[in-house]
Amino acid sequence: MLTSAVLQAINGISLAALLFLLASGFTLSFGLMRVVNMAHGAYYLVGGYIGLTLAEKTGSFALALVGGGAAVVVLGFLIDRFLMRRTGENHLAQVLLTVGIAFVLGDLALWIWGGDNLMVPAPQYLKGAVVLPGELYYPRYRFVLIFFGVVVGAALWLLYRKTQLGAVVRAGVDDREQVNATGINVDRLFILVSALASFLAGMAGVAGGAFLTLYPGAEWEILVYALVVVIVGGLGSLEGAMIGALIVGLLDAYGRWLLPEFSYFVLFGPIALLMLFRPRGLFGKEH
Amino acid sequence: MNQVLKTVAALLAASLGATAYAQSGPIRIGVLAPITGPLATPGRDMVDGMKLYWEQAKYTAGGRKVELVMADTTCNPDQALNQARRLVHQEKVHFLIGPLCGHEGPAVAQVSKETGVPLVMDAAGADTITKWDRTPSVVRTAVSASQIGHPWGEYMYKELGLRNVTFIGQDYTWGHEVTLGAVRAYTELGGKVAKIIWNPIGTKDYGPTISAIPADTDGVSAVVVGADRVRLFEAWFNFGMHKKKKIYGGYWMQQDALPQMDDRAVGLIGNALNYAAGIKTPENQAFTTAFAKAYKRLPSWFGESAYTASLWSRTAIDSIKGKVEDREAFLKAMRTVQIKAPRGPLKLDKYDNPIQNVYISRIEKIKHPVLGEVLTNVPFKTYEGVSQFWKWDPEEFLKRGPYQR
Amino acid sequence: MNRTIALIALAAALLLPHIAGPYWTGLVTLMYIFGLLALSIDLLLGHAGLFSLTHASFFAVSAYTVAILQVRYGVPTLLAAPAGVLAGTLLALLFGLAVRTRGVYFILITIAFGYVVWGVAHRWSSFTGGDNGVTNVPFPAAGPLAITSHTQYYYLVLVAVILCALGYRVLIRSPFGLGLRGIKASESRMRSLGYRTTLHLYAAFVLSGALASFAGVLYVYYNKFVNPVAASFQVSVEAALMAIVGGSGTLIGAFIGAGVVLGLRNWVSSFFELHAAVMGAVFIATVLWAPQGLVGLARRFFK
Repeated sequence: MLTSAVLQAINGISLAALLFLLASGFTLSFGLMRVVNMAHGAYYLVGGYIGLTLAEKTGSFALALVGGGAAVVVLGFLIDRFLMRRTGENHLAQVLLTVGIAFVLGDLALWIWGGDNLMVPAPQYLKGAVVLPGELYYPRYRFVLIFFGVVVGAALWLLYRKTQLGAVVRAGVDDREQVNATGINVDRLFILVSALASFLAGMAGVAGGAFLTLYPGAEWEILVYALVVVIVGGLGSLEGAMIGALIVGLLDAYGRWLLPEFSYFVLFGPIALLMLFRPRGLFGKEH
Repeated sequence: MNQVLKTVAALLAASLGATAYAQSGPIRIGVLAPITGPLATPGRDMVDGMKLYWEQAKYTAGGRKVELVMADTTCNPDQALNQARRLVHQEKVHFLIGPLCGHEGPAVAQVSKETGVPLVMDAAGADTITKWDRTPSVVRTAVSASQIGHPWGEYMYKELGLRNVTFIGQDYTWGHEVTLGAVRAYTELGGKVAKIIWNPIGTKDYGPTISAIPADTDGVSAVVVGADRVRLFEAWFNFGMHKKKKIYGGYWMQQDALPQMDDRAVGLIGNALNYAAGIKTPENQAFTTAFAKAYKRLPSWFGESAYTASLWSRTAIDSIKGKVEDREAFLKAMRTVQIKAPRGPLKLDKYDNPIQNVYISRIEKIKHPVLGEVLTNVPFKTYEGVSQFWKWDPEEFLKRGPYQR
Repeated sequence: MNRTIALIALAAALLLPHIAGPYWTGLVTLMYIFGLLALSIDLLLGHAGLFSLTHASFFAVSAYTVAILQVRYGVPTLLAAPAGVLAGTLLALLFGLAVRTRGVYFILITIAFGYVVWGVAHRWSSFTGGDNGVTNVPFPAAGPLAITSHTQYYYLVLVAVILCALGYRVLIRSPFGLGLRGIKASESRMRSLGYRTTLHLYAAFVLSGALASFAGVLYVYYNKFVNPVAASFQVSVEAALMAIVGGSGTLIGAFIGAGVVLGLRNWVSSFFELHAAVMGAVFIATVLWAPQGLVGLARRFFK
C-alpha cells in the first residue's frame, strides 16, 4: 500500500512535469497577449511528430526535442502573423479560429503520419528502470522528465522574476498600456513570448511522445488536461501553472488508483466547483 | 448530365420491371469502415482485406459483377448511421458489410432493421447484437466480445495454473465483455480475482495502473485496445515489472500494434483471439502471403475478418445463384453455408454468431518469405469450435444478462 | 421580399420528402435538429456574447432520459419527451451558475462541465449502457396517433422547429432579448441602468439549455439510439460551428450552418479523406473573412 502510494506520487509528478511544459506556454501567452490558443494541443502533437521523424532520421533525441520545438515556433509564428493577428482582441474569434486551426493541423498530421500510435524513440541511456530502495522499479525516463520539468520551471521562473525581460512581461500582464508607454517594442515582445510558448509546446510533444505515444486525437486529450491545469492555477500565472500541474497530475494518479470508476469526476468535478467559487483559479488575477 | 441519363435509365428500367433490371446489374455491397478517425489503422486493414478478397474473386459472385461502395464512419455512431442510410437509400446497395467500431454496431443494425437491408456484421463485437438485441436481417461473421474471453479465463486457470489474477481491462463495452467473460470462466473454475483495474480508452499514463497491481497476485491479464496497447507495453518494461510478474494478453498484441513494439515482446502470450497471423493452415498461408505481397505487412484480425466476411458473402451469393435481391434467401444462405476461412472452419449458430476456433498465441519473430524478419502471433493452443455461449446453456446465459462492470 | 423567400422555403420544405429520397430527407431532418441545437447555443453566443461549450450536455441528458424511460420502462412519449426536456433544463439550472464568470473563464468552465457529463455517460455503464448507449428507441406515439415512418417524423420535426423558431423570434425581439444584446454591448452600462445582468444571463442560459434539451428529444427519436458521443466536446464544438458558419445572431443562419456542416461531413467524406481539414478551413475562413457567416455574406451580396 505504502509502496503503491509512493509510486503513484511519482507517477503524478512526472505527468505534472509534462503538463507544466505545455501549460506554462499557454498561460504565459494568455497572461501577456490575452490569447487563448485552443490549437496548443495540436502544436504539441505536430511538435511530437516532427521530433519523431527527426529522431528516426538522426538517432538523436536531443535534436528531436529542439527540432520539434523549433518547427512549432515557425508554425506558430506563421499562424500568429497571418491568422491570429486578424482577430485583434476578440477572445471569441480567437477561440473559434484556433479550434479551426486545430482541426486542420490534426487532420494534416493524420494524413502525413497516419493513424498508428507512434512512440518517439528514447535513447538507450534514458530507457529501463531505476531501482529504488525496497525493490521498487521506476522508469528512468520519468525521473529525467521530472528533472527536466523542474529545470525548465526554474529557468522560466528566473526569466520571469529576475530578468529585465521578465519584468517587462510581468508589467505587460498587469497593465499593457504601461509597457507601451515605456517605449518598449511590444510587438517584438509578443513575438518572443509566443515563440517561447510554441517552443515549449513542441518540445512537450516530443517529451510526451516518448512515453504517452502520439496518435490522432492526442491533441484534444492533452489540451483538456492543459486547460484544467491553467484553470486551476489561474490563467496567466506561471506559479499557478506549476501548482496546477502538480494538482492535476496527482489527482489523476491517485484518482485512478483509489476511485477508478469516477476518474473523470475526480479530475473535472472539483475543478468545475473550484471554477464556480474561484473562477480566476488559485493564482489568477482580475483582468 | 450523366446523372440525369442514369436517372432516366433507372426509371425506364424500373418501369420495365425492377427485378429483371436489377438481376442483370452488378451486386452492390456497402462497406462501412472507419477510414479516418481514431481507428483508422484497423480500418485500413479492414478495407485492404476486403479489397484483397474481391480482387482474387475478380469482383464477381453468383455470375454477376460485384461493386464495393465504401463509406467512412470515422468511428462515430451518428456518422455510421447516416452513412448506412446513404448506402441503402442513395447507393442502393444490396447488403452492408461492417462496421468495425463496437459502438457503431447497434447504430448500423438499426438501419438494417428499419430498411430490411441485410447487414453482415464485421468486427464490431458487441455481445448484445447476437444475444439480447437480435435483428432478423443481421448476421455476424466476426466474433462477439465475450466469445474470446471465456476460453481465455479457462486457459489461465487450467493451463497457466493461475489462482490470483489481476485483470487490466479497457473501460468500454468490448473491454467489459472480454474481461468479464474471462473472469466468469476463470472464477467458475475456482480462480480468485486479486483486482480488476479498468482504464478508459486513451488512458495516457499506464504508470498508475501498474503501480496499483497487488503484490500477491500471481499473474496479470491484459485486455487493452488502440493506443493503450503500446503504452501498457512500454510501461510494463519501464517499470521493471517483467522482472517481478507475468503478464498475459487476453486481447493485447494484435498484429497492427506489433510494429510499434519490439523484441521484448517475443515469448509473451499476446492474445486469445479468433485469429492469429501465424496460423499454419494452407488457407491462412495463402491469405497472409497474398496480403503481405499486396500491402507489405501482415494482416491483423481486422484484415482477416473483412476478408472472411467477403468470402462468406460470396459463398452465400454463389449458393443462391446471385439473387441477392431476395433478401430472405440471401440471409438464409448466410446462415447455412459453412466455410473454411483463413482463421479456420466457420458456421453460424442459431443466434447468428459464428462458431469458431479461439487461438492462444505467443509473440514470435519469424522469417517471412515476403517480409523478412517480423513479429507475429503464433498460436500454440487451440480451443476448437467455440460457441459464443461457451459451455453454458444458451437460454441460461441469456437469462443471466449482459456482462456489465 | 422576405415573406416570398420564406414561403418558397416553406414550400420546398413541405415538398422535400416527395422530391428527394429518404437519405436526403433524413439528412435534412438532422439539419433541423442540429440547427435547433445551434440556435440554442447562439442565444448565448449571438445575443449575450457568452460562448458555451457544454450544450451537448443538455442535448445528451435529455436524449438519454427519453431513451431510458421509453426503452427500459415503457413510459409513453407524452411523458418521456417532457421528462427529457425537464432533465436537461434541470441540468441547465445547475450549470447556469457558470454565468458568474465571463469571457474565457466562461468558455473554460463550460468545457470542464461538458467533460463531466461525457465521463458519466461513458463510465456509468450500468445505467447509461456505456459506449453502446441505449438503442431501440421507438418512434414517438400519443395514444392512437403514432409516427410510423421517417417521412412522417420529418414533418413532425418541421412543425416543431417552425414553432420553436417563431417562439425564439418573439423572445429575441422582446425586452428580454434587447436586454441580452445590451449586456453583450456593454455590461457595465446595463448594470448602471439597473439591470441585474447576471440574473438576466442566468435566465438566458436556462432557456438556452431547455432549447438544447428539446433538440435532444427530437434527436433521439430520429436516431433511435443515443450514446456518449452525443455528450462529447466534439458535438458542442460542431454545433457552435454551425451557428457561426451560418451567421451568428440570425435565426436562419443556424439552420444553414447545420446544413453546411452536416453536408461537409456526409458528402465530402465520401470522396475526400481530409474532410476534417476542410471543415476546419471553412471555420477559419468564416471567422476571419465572414464573421457574420453565410447570412452576412448573402446580405452584403444583395445590398
